[in-house]
Amino acid sequence: MDTVLLTTVHILVAAAVCWLNFITIDMFFKLPEKGGVVGATAIARHIEAGGGSLEGGTMMGNIVSSPDASAGTLLAACGVFIAGIPGGLLAALLVFIGNRICHDRGYAGTTGCLTATFIVFGFTLAGFSAAEFIAGMVIAILSIQGISHAYASRVLSTIWKVRRG
Amino acid sequence: MTPAGVALVLCGAVALYAGVRVALEPDTLRKLPFLNVFSFAITGVIALLLPHPLGIVAAAAYFVGSTLESNAIASTFAGGLERG
Repeated sequence: MDTVLLTTVHILVAAAVCWLNFITIDMFFKLPEKGGVVGATAIARHIEAGGGSLEGGTMMGNIVSSPDASAGTLLAACGVFIAGIPGGLLAALLVFIGNRICHDRGYAGTTGCLTATFIVFGFTLAGFSAAEFIAGMVIAILSIQGISHAYASRVLSTIWKVRRG
Repeated sequence: MTPAGVALVLCGAVALYAGVRVALEPDTLRKLPFLNVFSFAITGVIALLLPHPLGIVAAAAYFVGSTLESNAIASTFAGGLERG
């Protein structure tokens, strides 16, 4: 198969894997519950005013305000691309420091980075390149933060309602 | 074209798209999620262009710095820096 086509298919698979990784961990750490900083709550209110949902908007505000599991997944992919598993672990340490710099007392970013390190490394053994996961994570975050805030926040709220029970 | 080359082109295209969305969005706080996508894409570009252990540090430093800026802008617009 043509290399570019194969890489494109790999990137789409990587995007789905990254999406599942960061949404699962962010939901586990209850990001839609409340804004970590006052700015995250303000972003949520503006997204709600634009036709979105408050809980999903809160999660999007939290993603903007501090490195969460999505940032952890991206930096893990960068770390594995450059230096394998040690690179991913270095990225996790940097995400942990980044969380503290951003007044975030949670562990969503660090946990997401650690799980993504092993997921990305596992996929490299199956013929994927870590570079494809970097592009995949960029597409995954584009789907949440970069296309329609109203629609994305409603999708996140629906997942949050299932998780909350 | 190598996988890293395809990934680089894709990250660049997403960064360009996010930059246009930031410029077109009239609401300042709703600009920030688009800026977040831009930061993700540029972080990817940095890591893909600098395959050196310090490249991880450079990418993380850029990302955390831009996140902190978004955090500060949002908190200032919300009327204070205390935790919400």
